Amino acid sequence: MSSSPSLYADRDTFIHRLNARSKLALITGLFVMAYSFTDPVWVFVPLAASFLALVAVGGWPNFKRLSFIVVALFLVGFAVWPAFTHSGGAVLLSTPVGTLTEREVLFALGRSERIAAFIIGGLLFVTTTSNEEIVAGMRSLGIPFAFCFAVGTALRLFPTFLGSANTVRQAQAARGHEVGGNNPVTLLRSYIPLLIPVFMTAIRNVQTQAMALEARGFDTRGDRSFYNRQPFQTVDWAVVVVGLVAAVVSVALRLQGFGTI
Amino acid sequence: MGSDSTGEPAAKLRDVVFAYDRGLDLPAADSFADDEAYDPDDRGGAVLRGLDLDIPAGSFTVIMGASGGGKSTLLRTFNAIIPSFVTGSFAGDIEVLGRDATSARVPEMADDVGMVLQDYESQLFGTSVTSETVFGPENLAVPIDDIDPRVEHALSVAGLSDLDRRRPPDALSGGQKQRLVFAGVVANHPELLLLDEPTSDLDPAGSHDTLEVIRSLADADGFDAPEGWNGPETIVTITHEIEEALLADHAVLLRAGQVYRQGPIREVFTDVEALHNARVAVPPVVDTFDRLGWSREDLPLYPDEAVEAVLERALEWTPPARRGDSLPGAPAGTRQKTGDPVFELEDIVHEYETDRETVRAVDGVDLTVESGEVVAIVGHNGSGKTTLAKHLNGLLEPDSGEARWRGRDVAERSMSEIGRAVGYVFQNPDHQIFADTVRDEVAFGPENFGMTGDELDQAVTEALETVELDGLEDADPFNLSKGQRQRVALASILATDPDAIVFDEPTTGLDATQRDQFMNLVARLNRETSVTIAMVTHSMHTVAQYAPRTVVMDDGQKAFDGPTRELFADESLLERWNLEPPQPIEVSNRLAAETGQDDALPALSVDELVAGLETAGSDAASGETHAEADAATGGDHS
Repeated sequence: MSSSPSLYADRDTFIHRLNARSKLALITGLFVMAYSFTDPVWVFVPLAASFLALVAVGGWPNFKRLSFIVVALFLVGFAVWPAFTHSGGAVLLSTPVGTLTEREVLFALGRSERIAAFIIGGLLFVTTTSNEEIVAGMRSLGIPFAFCFAVGTALRLFPTFLGSANTVRQAQAARGHEVGGNNPVTLLRSYIPLLIPVFMTAIRNVQTQAMALEARGFDTRGDRSFYNRQPFQTVDWAVVVVGLVAAVVSVALRLQGFGTI
Repeated sequence: MGSDSTGEPAAKLRDVVFAYDRGLDLPAADSFADDEAYDPDDRGGAVLRGLDLDIPAGSFTVIMGASGGGKSTLLRTFNAIIPSFVTGSFAGDIEVLGRDATSARVPEMADDVGMVLQDYESQLFGTSVTSETVFGPENLAVPIDDIDPRVEHALSVAGLSDLDRRRPPDALSGGQKQRLVFAGVVANHPELLLLDEPTSDLDPAGSHDTLEVIRSLADADGFDAPEGWNGPETIVTITHEIEEALLADHAVLLRAGQVYRQGPIREVFTDVEALHNARVAVPPVVDTFDRLGWSREDLPLYPDEAVEAVLERALEWTPPARRGDSLPGAPAGTRQKTGDPVFELEDIVHEYETDRETVRAVDGVDLTVESGEVVAIVGHNGSGKTTLAKHLNGLLEPDSGEARWRGRDVAERSMSEIGRAVGYVFQNPDHQIFADTVRDEVAFGPENFGMTGDELDQAVTEALETVELDGLEDADPFNLSKGQRQRVALASILATDPDAIVFDEPTTGLDATQRDQFMNLVARLNRETSVTIAMVTHSMHTVAQYAPRTVVMDDGQKAFDGPTRELFADESLLERWNLEPPQPIEVSNRLAAETGQDDALPALSVDELVAGLETAGSDAASGETHAEADAATGGDHS
């Protein structure tokens, strides 16, 4: 089964209707929560909240598409993070090379959950916010329009890039190419037949798109109109407050020593 | 819209020389005169070579010429993309709508000059129909209150009024996307509209709808547009499609980076020698009657005129076959069924997910392709034809059903086994080319399949000889023309000595000469080596000329599977699936209807059309009418 190239899911949910700025505030609140705590039980709260919200707004297909990234980062993090903390608690695993303690496992789990929460939170934002809303939201925060537009365009190009990469993968697979190798050098070399066509195609597409942009009158120097004015309503203020409270309470709890291992 | 040759031209170019390489010391414009040795397949050096041109204000001008011959480059000088955006090396004077286009920036020109490119995906910037259409007016700082009327009018012109304004462009068909691009450009109210092969990536239905938009823009009298805009005053288009070119009233042929011929459409498109020299396809109707010996001034240009001329002169029409006869094959002599199945698809179902729903792209299709056969798979974008074709070599696995190659389940074969036996040539050769030299690129597949040493060298050499690229072994494939890159892609498949080849849109982006070269090569391979061919294509010319059998896909299902000639004989079927028949088919079907030959099957090529008219005897060849012949012989037919 194949999948659609776009990440934005056009729905009429509560989160979709929010102003992009209030969505950013809400997700920032979730990020602060995830960043404040180290105990995996506490970090699980913003992770679960982001995930449930994502599913509720129709983002399950997006999650499935990026699940390999989430899972890969989670597993790699879980394997690597123990090296970045000191040992403590019961020894869960003892090998001739070293030991793995309860504290190291909890630390690694918490950090991996934190990264997953960041990715899923970001996915929640792009699933519920169209490019125009992202650009308009960023612009209303005072960010220069050229930068805002570049971000919006990058988001739009990402699925096209994925689609192109998939075609290249199929074209090389049809010629018997397989990615893999016995050592890092041969593994990297096996990516060359994929990377060169993908990037050459991307460069051509970007050039055509830049040309088409200017031909449609896009200009960072001159005046422009802004058609899509997003009202900032009471509910948006309420969501901003929720995000703010979540962030402040999380920091306060952390300072009180809660949510740590 | 009609030419106003007495007024100031919409665009005036003088002594224009342009090369994509920067910092070149360009020769003087007049040094390029009479440069017969120029080859558009060669890369590097000047593309525009001392070009002088006036585009008449109020005209609908078509620019044609060889691929790589400078058409798109020329078009991009009209809105300052060259030399402002693509700087390269430039010399000369360009004035567009009274403005010096050599010193203007592209966004400044966008006030008056709109542009639609071939690749609609690269021109869509919004995530909804509305946001896409307002993008241009926003850029031009059109007051907010004026934008809504512009949007409504632009969508109406593009035939998209009924579209949900919140719908994302990703969810539209190819034709709708290109029409949305038109709407976005029209909303800017351009005076000069530039079209760079706007239909070449579209299916027949999308092309048809897009051509309707172009027609309505070209004939914009009475345009009820906001702010008094009355449609683009001048349109300039580039195309390889003759049906599209014939919408114009003025034609320019490019050759060797210069204007080779220009003038009213009839004058240019009946000059058969000039068209050949410029590597432009001769309109089949013109070609037919030119080969029958008609004088240039008598040559019909459109199918209607051809039918009228034949009837007026009381020429006889003898069809190449009749229903019930044993059917003649494709004009290219490609092979038909042999009885030994290569591919067997059984009840294939393939689904994909959008953000809203699961779409069944292929819905229970059975298909058997026999050894040595050439089969075309056609249908509109999204009909499932490419998805179906990718099951032939296991690039996609069915959600249910079974795909077999030579009686064995494709899913149980490794790609190294099936990939060697069944080659797949993708639409865009740039999706596979990565090596530094043509030799390495062609050797990549066979090496992956375990070929080495002398065997590998011989396979590469033979493949390059077959596609007539021997001598270019050490060339950088990225520096070759699109037609040559397409042949490199084919050579890389041929080097594995496949049992069958699947082509995905093999002729997109090729000019008439490149297209015929490539497809004649495919036909020769089929005739000489019996390689089985399945090709997904929108080109009805390719289908008619090269495929004895055609499968039509419609909404994921097989809607037709049979002889190509029978498909093209039934105009109700063609209409149902929006398949535009090539001119010889249209003319012969009309002649059969007009002469009461209900059982006649159509001519699929100019050769067959000529043969059917020649059978009336030398009268047809000379253009002499039966009435005139009767008069000369005193009406004695004894």
